[in-house]
Amino acid sequence: MSWTPLIPLLPAVAFALMWPMTRAARNRFQWLPLAAMTGSLGLSVAAFARVAGAVAGAHAGGHAGGQGEAAAVWSAAVEIARIGGKPLAVGLRLDPVSVIMLLVITVVGVCVQIYSLGYMHRDERRGWYFAVLSLFSAAMLALVLAGDFLLLYMTWEVMGLCSYLLIGFWHEQEGPRLASIKAFLTTRVGDVAFAIGLAVMYATKGSFAFATVLNSGNAWPVGAATAVALLFLVGAMGKSAQVPLHVWLPDAMAGPTPASALIHAATMVAAGVYLVARALPIFHAAAPWTLTVVLVVGTVTAVVGGLLATVQYDIKKILAYSTISQLGFMFIALGAGSEIAALFHLMTHAFFKSLLFLGAGVIIHAAHTQDIREMGGLRKSLPWTTAAFTAGALALSGVFPFSGFWSKDEILTVLWHGGHYVAFAFALLAALLTAFYMTRLWFRVFGDTQACSLAHEGHTEMVAPMVFLGLVTAAIGFTSPAFAGFLGEAKGWPDIAMALGSTAVALSGIGIGWLVYGRGLVDTAAFRRRLGYAYEALENKLYFDLTYSYFIVNPYRRVAGMLSRFDARVVDGAVNGVAAAWSRTADAGSVFDTRVIDHAVDGAGSFVRAAGARLRRLQDGRVQSYQRFAFTALIALLVLPLLYTVVAILLKGV
Amino acid sequence: MTVGLSAFLLLGAVLFCIGLFGALSKKSAVMVLMSLELMTNAVNINLVAFSRFLAPTQMTGQFFAAFVMVVAAAEIGLGLALVLALYRRAQTIELDRIDRLKG
Repeated sequence: MSWTPLIPLLPAVAFALMWPMTRAARNRFQWLPLAAMTGSLGLSVAAFARVAGAVAGAHAGGHAGGQGEAAAVWSAAVEIARIGGKPLAVGLRLDPVSVIMLLVITVVGVCVQIYSLGYMHRDERRGWYFAVLSLFSAAMLALVLAGDFLLLYMTWEVMGLCSYLLIGFWHEQEGPRLASIKAFLTTRVGDVAFAIGLAVMYATKGSFAFATVLNSGNAWPVGAATAVALLFLVGAMGKSAQVPLHVWLPDAMAGPTPASALIHAATMVAAGVYLVARALPIFHAAAPWTLTVVLVVGTVTAVVGGLLATVQYDIKKILAYSTISQLGFMFIALGAGSEIAALFHLMTHAFFKSLLFLGAGVIIHAAHTQDIREMGGLRKSLPWTTAAFTAGALALSGVFPFSGFWSKDEILTVLWHGGHYVAFAFALLAALLTAFYMTRLWFRVFGDTQACSLAHEGHTEMVAPMVFLGLVTAAIGFTSPAFAGFLGEAKGWPDIAMALGSTAVALSGIGIGWLVYGRGLVDTAAFRRRLGYAYEALENKLYFDLTYSYFIVNPYRRVAGMLSRFDARVVDGAVNGVAAAWSRTADAGSVFDTRVIDHAVDGAGSFVRAAGARLRRLQDGRVQSYQRFAFTALIALLVLPLLYTVVAILLKGV
Repeated sequence: MTVGLSAFLLLGAVLFCIGLFGALSKKSAVMVLMSLELMTNAVNINLVAFSRFLAPTQMTGQFFAAFVMVVAAAEIGLGLALVLALYRRAQTIELDRIDRLKG
């Protein structure tokens, strides 16, 4: 018996306990998800130790991990159904990839939970927030522990639900409500593709289990592998907000900021990357251009996300576009065939981006706005936040020794050695943009222009997780060779030339940003005017939203309107007609009832009553009238037989 | 001309009818009692007449008549006692006004 299933089970139980509670009780039990998450963290560390021991043993035994398919340290499965005689099983599986994801999720999860205690402490529905956060954690932990694509898909959908619930957490307002629907429907496009991919996979292989589906990667028919790979890619694009399915992520920032940190920056949006990384053997078995598609998607997303981040004024949206761009980087790595580089960037990004979001939460609380034009000078009032946020920003920009430098460098190296020079150039451009917009953000928020002087530092439970994440961000890059080794690939320290090159790019991005926003050398308004249409396009988010609303949302609304009218006129008419006919029949029955049946009943009653009224007069209480009756009756009794006899005699006589 | 049985029977019948009419129509309870007396006497006449004309050797009818007279005397005593009680209760002996059992 292993403790591993408890890792996702603890937060799930916390959610199950909190679900039926009243609002007040939930608020009192807001620490429960944190306790469950801490338990999961402890178990994850234990699982990590176990896997590390197994990996060390395998290395000592000279056993090299197979291509993309490291052996499972532990796995278990239960059969949930039999379809056509084939068993349909879902199971858990512990291997180096999943254990690293476990650690990332639990560490970031605990930090976010602690932070949320401070951030949400005045919200009257915070209990529900923590409960959903717990359900989300359970789903994400189960997703990375899943031993087959079926369970992965199930938890994938649960996360989609939690994402929907948390984006629309303040559903009293129009914006979050619409954003939650948009996020749900946009990711649904990808999810449907994912589901079809699963069907194709089952039709081809008769199984969902990683051990079956991925180990026999070479035996995949090229056509089926290409179909599954592309369908999975579309699913991953929806979840990981890749162009053109990225439009939901900036709007998703309507949710609570810590939820954005956990779900829409660190973990859930990385699930798409995780999916493709897991399924990479299928991509290798597919047609060669499949990975190129991944590469193109990643490159376009990285550049588009970076460009759009430079023109946003909402601090959370800047970070959201930055997330899109960084997810694009991960897809670039996957497209180049290196899931290790992708997963490493996933890990570092999870830490520094959640850090940035938590910092943004403090800044928003302090400045009472999300618009960076109305901020400034926060450096003095928020010293801890400034330090942590700066560490995150430097990591995102890719400055040594912060973690982003290492992971981005690894991706660039993979691209260079793989011969993807176009993608390499665009990745450098995206890195430059990243450094530029983070510098812009930094100077707008912390720079000298004094805008909000009344700001004050957040609670301890908000600051402490940020400081911790800042330290992780500063240190974790150095694990780069160990990380690769853990996943079964020998890799040394990065190339000096490449490191110098990427640092130069990052520093030039920061330099440009400093010149523009720190020194104010460029008149940004005049520059915007000079750009003209290009700036307008960026301002309108490259017209993605407009295109969708013109070509998809509005026609859909029109069809829905027509269907609604059809419903109101034809379907409702038919239903109402039947009802009216029935009602008329009932009316006729009612008339029959009142006229005939009631009258019969009433008539019987009133007849008896009238008869009684007449007959009662006979009983007048006078003794003499009774005597008269008796006498009359006596006479009648005497006379009638007499009459009868007389008549009889007369008749006989005739 | 001899007075025959039918003359007595006719007298009895007339007397009975008068008594019956009185019993059915008189207002006063006392008058009703008197009418009842008439009717019993009509019966007595019948009994005596039948005794005299049909069985002169036997005294059966006359005994019956004497018996009826005793019963009638007892009856009238009881009846008058009832009338007295009735008067005390209802302050009247007019039978029309004693209708407490009216339905």
